[in-house]
Amino acid sequence: MGTFVGAPAPEFRAEAYDNGIIREIGLRDYKGKWVVLFFYPADFTCV
Amino acid sequence: MLAVSVDSVELHRKWEESELAKMIPGGIRFPMLSDSRGEMGRDYGVYNPHAGTDRRGRFIIDPEGVVQTIEITCDVLGRNIAEILRQLRALQHHRETGELMPCGWEPGKPTLPEESEAPRIFGKVWKTWKLRNAF
Repeated sequence: MGTFVGAPAPEFRAEAYDNGIIREIGLRDYKGKWVVLFFYPADFTCV
Repeated sequence: MLAVSVDSVELHRKWEESELAKMIPGGIRFPMLSDSRGEMGRDYGVYNPHAGTDRRGRFIIDPEGVVQTIEITCDVLGRNIAEILRQLRALQHHRETGELMPCGWEPGKPTLPEESEAPRIFGKVWKTWKLRNAF
């Protein structure tokens, strides 16, 4: 695994669909806040 | 809360509008990121090259940007939201009080002494913390 508990979370910068608008988001935008970052395989699936 | 898959922002919009908004009152109110080249998945160790998708990995990151907990499940098994909230509350309680958070902790249940005090109860935890607290 590339990420380990106790280590800094890898920085990222990605396009996002956020409440009707498209904007860029990076981890550093959330400095000072708790973040729950969750990945999932695909849109329009059922699990 | 930040959601990520390799799908495009256009597909995220279509899915949110046509299905998620019907399933969830008010729809999805947090960002849905597009990891189109799998870069984020690779950096976080969840990219699945056989399927070209990101695995169902979940990371709780503290306000200083340090990863605190990780859970990754196989594609057939969904997450337990209650457990994510439990972990978040436990981490925040620890941050506020310094207390250690035992197995199965939920608000209202007993905690363990903060780190510098904890050695005093090593070998004697059984006297105060009961197994039923874990469930």
